Amino acid sequence: MKRSIRPRAVELSRRQFLIRSGVLGAAGLTAPQLLAACGGDDDDTSAPSPTDAPSGSSPSAGGGGDTLFFENWPAYIDPTEDGLTGTVDRFMDATGIDMRYSEAFNDNVEYFAKIQPVLGRGDTIEPDLIAPTSWMVGRLISLGWLDTLPIDQVPNAVNLRDDLVNPAWDPTGEFSLPWQTGFAGIAYNLDVTGRELTSVDDLWDPEFAGKIGALTEMRDTIGVILLSMGVDISTLETFEQAAPAFEKLEQAKADGQIRRFHGNDYFDDLSNGNFAATIGWSGDVAQIQLDNPAVRFLFPESGATSWADAMVMPKGAVNRDAAAAWMDFAYDPVQAAQITAWVQYVSPVKGVREEVEKIDPELADNPLIFPDEATLAATRSFATLSEDVEAEFDAAFSRIIGA
Amino acid sequence: MTAVSTQDAPERVRRPELVGLAALAGAGVLLAAVGARWFTGPLAVVALALVLAAIIWLVFTAVAGGPEARRRIAPYGLLKPGTLWLALFYLAPLVTLLRLSLSTLPSRFAVEAEFSWEFQNYVDAFTDFGPQFQRAFLYAAVATVLTIAIGYPLAYVIAFRGGRYRSLLLGLVVVPFFTSYLIRTIAWRSLLNDNGEIVRFLDAVRLSGLFESIGIMDNGRILQTPVAVIGGLTYNFLPFMILPIYVSLEKVDPRLVDAAQDLYSTSTAAFRRVVLPLSMPGVFAGTLLTFIPAAGDFVNAFYLGSPSTTMIGNSIQDQFLVQNNVPLASAMSFVLMAIITVLVLIYSKYFGTEDLS
Repeated sequence: MKRSIRPRAVELSRRQFLIRSGVLGAAGLTAPQLLAACGGDDDDTSAPSPTDAPSGSSPSAGGGGDTLFFENWPAYIDPTEDGLTGTVDRFMDATGIDMRYSEAFNDNVEYFAKIQPVLGRGDTIEPDLIAPTSWMVGRLISLGWLDTLPIDQVPNAVNLRDDLVNPAWDPTGEFSLPWQTGFAGIAYNLDVTGRELTSVDDLWDPEFAGKIGALTEMRDTIGVILLSMGVDISTLETFEQAAPAFEKLEQAKADGQIRRFHGNDYFDDLSNGNFAATIGWSGDVAQIQLDNPAVRFLFPESGATSWADAMVMPKGAVNRDAAAAWMDFAYDPVQAAQITAWVQYVSPVKGVREEVEKIDPELADNPLIFPDEATLAATRSFATLSEDVEAEFDAAFSRIIGA
Repeated sequence: MTAVSTQDAPERVRRPELVGLAALAGAGVLLAAVGARWFTGPLAVVALALVLAAIIWLVFTAVAGGPEARRRIAPYGLLKPGTLWLALFYLAPLVTLLRLSLSTLPSRFAVEAEFSWEFQNYVDAFTDFGPQFQRAFLYAAVATVLTIAIGYPLAYVIAFRGGRYRSLLLGLVVVPFFTSYLIRTIAWRSLLNDNGEIVRFLDAVRLSGLFESIGIMDNGRILQTPVAVIGGLTYNFLPFMILPIYVSLEKVDPRLVDAAQDLYSTSTAAFRRVVLPLSMPGVFAGTLLTFIPAAGDFVNAFYLGSPSTTMIGNSIQDQFLVQNNVPLASAMSFVLMAIITVLVLIYSKYFGTEDLS
């Protein structure tokens, strides 16, 4: 699964590299950049943008010799395989930037626990870009652990979907740029269940005792259960309103219904039949189906949760130009369509549908990728909780899922 | 000369003896305090200088002091490396952990805990994690008994019937453990898979019904049940039982059994009254080597268990690394240590091997 950072078209990229570094070196621009890369702590001065507004889909900002480290979730970008060049490799070929892409995310809370001791002490973490879920972005912003994005170097940012401009978690829109959005519903293995599932209540069927999973993502697991109970999760204000879902989950755990709480690491269990069903993410099922066509995704009639993962720059990230170039690349509808066609989530980029239609017309009609009115009407995103209430939710949830 | 020295001796000797002890203890405490980061900056430099001075003085007196002083001081000089090692690498972390366990986090996402005599952490450790503590000790105890049941006969056969293949057989016991602990545990996941070979075989030979009724299987699965967790513990700690038992059995002189039989003992009686008692030190050591780490283990329950089979090690790991609640995790670690210590003391009191040595 892990991507290597080997440029494919070696000659081309090397030539580009030489040309660029020659030009930039002549212009005396590489030295300040090197210095900036060594500095690390004062990043405001570390963006000696060589070009004011790089145009088109191959931004030349940064130049060769630049590096970029992006930590993202698993199965969240098209890899180089089956004769197709993945987005990371296409990006490296186009810009000469040496990009390192890793799938370090499994769970927001887990990832936060990893970076908290570092960022909390004012040190910098290694990656230049990370893609936490929106609520975690909000938390990182309020803790002051993020740098603003170099949005002015990302002309393609205008392609951001209208409903994601200045979102609740980042009201000024200067800290985050969504990577993908999608839904959480029920993922199930038809071979094990022996029947099509129709509602969230199927999870509590005693027939599936010990074969049910649930996400460690509180907003998705509790959200899906609450929706099945007829509670609107977008207007939650107090813990009491959500308590029934917590009780339901706790009961299911006590009854031995729940086999395992999982982050993004449920592909194997679902594919090989250890899970009959679990609460999972829409696009993941598309990936699992490659292994096992019997895996299905149920968009519950009672409603699915919708979420967004957004690219943010942790405080002190050094490679700002390269990050800008990457975001610009990923927000080019042509490139974004390649990602969408593979990850099968809802793209935050406008104009992707037209591009996907050229690749695979069938995908363009998939309501899980290009949601229609009915789908959107049945999805809810989890309310932004006040800090005290969020602490209450988190404590109750970690008591259930925690060891 | 002799008269003078005997008269002077008590005075000259008593003082250095106390001073030597004080110097050793003082150096140990200072080093532990530096290790626990109680002293930082210039204070730490002063403390380390004092430790160094104490070491130099002890060495100097032990080497170049008068014969009496040397005799009295030398033991403290010899104790020094061990004491200081323990002070720095055992006492200091322990004190740090104790301090953390009595701290509070000033805010929800704070990084540094503040020391505040927070005994509530200990109350929470007991009240919130009772089931995990119980499961940890239950699973570890069952696994230990199973390792004895499997390991003893194996060690016996290798020791008495192994002949020239002894080393080979012993090597075969150890060879699987050249593979990482983690990899072997994760491998069990694929082996015990709900649709894996083992479960399918049990289904095919119609044993799954029987296994369900005696509780080894649960709704057609072994993985992520208590059986899988205990099985994983047993498997992973087996060599720690086999090797000590083998060592103590190997030392048993077969002629002792002959002697017992010459005295009209049956072979079972000879085993029960001669071989078994002589091998008890091995069983005792193996039990400690198995039970203590098994009670704190979290890998097996993590990979082979479910949310209802978590052990205290999982809870501590979760609090330390996922919830980032370091004070509570430290308190839980201390409670675990305390319980294990008490259990081991009781065990060694009743099953200890002092009378055999």
